[in-house]
Amino acid sequence: MEKVLLGFAAALAIGLSALATGWAQSRIGSAGAGTIAEKPELTGSVIIMLAIPETMVILGFVVAAMILYL
Amino acid sequence: MIVRMSKVEIIGPKEMLLEVLALIRGMAAFQVEPDMRGFIDTGIEREFRSLLLDKETLGERTYYENLRQKIDELSACLPHLPIRKSYLEPGSAITAVAALVDKHTAFCRGLCQKRDALRHEQEELHRQTLFLDALEPLLKEVDSDTGLDFIGVTIKDPAATEHLMRLVAGLTGGRFEIVTTNASDGTIIALITLAKELADKLREALNAERVPELSFPAPFQHLPLPEKIRRMRQRLAEVATDLSQTGGGLQQFAAHWAPTYQWVREWLDDRLSLLTTTTAIHETRMCFFIHGWISTPDVERLRTILNGKFGGRVVVEEQQVLEEDLENIPVAIKNPPYFRPFELFTRLLPLPIYSSYDPTPFIGVFFPIFFGMILGDVGYGLVILAAAIVVMKISGQRRNLHDAAMILLVSSCYAIIFGFIYGEFFGGPGPEWLFLEKTAVIDRRRAVIPMLIFSIAIGVMHVTFGLLLAFWGALRRRAVKDALLKLVNALFIICLTALAASHFAPFPHPVSRTINIALLVAIPLMLLTGGLLAPLEMLKSIGNIISYARIMAIGLASVLIAYVANRFAGLTGDIVLGALAAGLLHLINLVLGVFSPTIHALRLHYVEFFSKFITYGGRKFEPYKKNRGE
Repeated sequence: MEKVLLGFAAALAIGLSALATGWAQSRIGSAGAGTIAEKPELTGSVIIMLAIPETMVILGFVVAAMILYL
Repeated sequence: MIVRMSKVEIIGPKEMLLEVLALIRGMAAFQVEPDMRGFIDTGIEREFRSLLLDKETLGERTYYENLRQKIDELSACLPHLPIRKSYLEPGSAITAVAALVDKHTAFCRGLCQKRDALRHEQEELHRQTLFLDALEPLLKEVDSDTGLDFIGVTIKDPAATEHLMRLVAGLTGGRFEIVTTNASDGTIIALITLAKELADKLREALNAERVPELSFPAPFQHLPLPEKIRRMRQRLAEVATDLSQTGGGLQQFAAHWAPTYQWVREWLDDRLSLLTTTTAIHETRMCFFIHGWISTPDVERLRTILNGKFGGRVVVEEQQVLEEDLENIPVAIKNPPYFRPFELFTRLLPLPIYSSYDPTPFIGVFFPIFFGMILGDVGYGLVILAAAIVVMKISGQRRNLHDAAMILLVSSCYAIIFGFIYGEFFGGPGPEWLFLEKTAVIDRRRAVIPMLIFSIAIGVMHVTFGLLLAFWGALRRRAVKDALLKLVNALFIICLTALAASHFAPFPHPVSRTINIALLVAIPLMLLTGGLLAPLEMLKSIGNIISYARIMAIGLASVLIAYVANRFAGLTGDIVLGALAAGLLHLINLVLGVFSPTIHALRLHYVEFFSKFITYGGRKFEPYKKNRGE
């Protein structure tokens, strides 16, 4: 039972943070597409900005790994 | 690296100003500063004023500007031809050119207007030719000597043909003939042959039904259709001849005069640029003062050149750079050849201020290492290395592409090195001759927690290094409080890391006690130097360090995809299908393996590392120079 709960907690940690990242990236992505259409020279900056919310899912992954392995 | 700048004042007699400016422009190394604040001691500013051009020079400037405008108007009429070099002396040719330019402009404008009118007519006639080509075979089918009339119509929708037939039949009582064909643009062309007395009635009906009759230019409108076609073809040939003659006239003029006008235009640009720059110069009753910035190694060169030309009558004085100047000093960046390609990444960022750091060397050192740590596969590294070499060979003059290939080349070398450390070759153990089993230190697929700790340890070192650079930068600016805050932050991170490390391997009691005391001292120091927001800043730094876990996370994803690709190949049971499936997955992973580590390694630099010690908002160093390369 304890293993199931641990697995569930790890799944929640990564799942919720992945959803949050996805939502944030969708907003940044649509705004970024608009930016690139008007100023193509900002492509590099937009790509970097798109990668910023990925911190959330990476933190979620770290927490999940700690739940499962530590 | 940010080039060291010197604050310089050039002083000389007023009559030599234009010559001095021309010399400085030729050097292309001196940025003229129009604002004299910081260059002139307080209290004596009243003796200086912005240089005012005398009446004669002002008149000269207006004359040149008018002439340049007239040459531009003339050039707009001329065709673009490869221009040969003119050997005329523009200074002496100015008067002649000024006298001729109005006459030449009127002549060329006349030719241009004629050419435009002919082009328009030719386009119209060409459009009609589409229909003429379709009508001509139809006319051959009907007898044109029987006193009949011909009406040509265009039909967009094929279904409307039936409706047209019914309409014509109703009006003519069946006394008509209709033939249809397709024009080259897909439109249906119908030729209706009917008695002349019924033609006008049918035209009215077609008009009411909005069936467009073929329209022709006004001079041919009232001619019979066969005559129309003949005359239009004749006119088309005439227009082509006229157009060729007009174009030839313009080309002949351009070949003869364009080099002279071009040369004079360039001379005018040069002269006007000198006269315009004088507005940024200051003067006293006798002397001119040029203030500005030049890179420190160039100061001596400037002094030698001016001494050589003016024999000591123009003086170069290097002034002391004051603390209040730091934010205004223009920034020039110059890096050794190894780091130069990495400027591709720093160009995405705003320019740092002069007292800050150039991010390029840091990206040049750490980016390939992070890329290698994330990708870490000998096979993928070799493929990327080969691709980078090919791209470098074919990039030619495309600098950005060449730089990107160079970065990939360096990064792929690190990917190969880390591939040996991880013991990975396309996600597997690799062939025996690579000895990966012997070189492998860690198995990324299984050692998740050790890799996580390793990534975070990299983060601790990188962020602490950033904080120490910030400490050094603040010390150089003599911002002691800021420097102390950065040092305390770095100390706090080191102590926290030691505390975390003691969880895995307990330290001797004196060591752990020292760490605890250091932490206790650091907190009030942090509050004293950074205020109430300092702990929040600290929390941000801890978040930044944990963000380095992406090195492990993305690397793990990459190695797992490669592992799945290899498993796929075995599971299919068919050698061809297996190789195809594995190849496709490896290809996807390879593309991801180029983009993902690049984006994330850059992000770690831009967001986590540079935010600690780089201050943006610098002013670009723009030396006074000619606008074209000569």
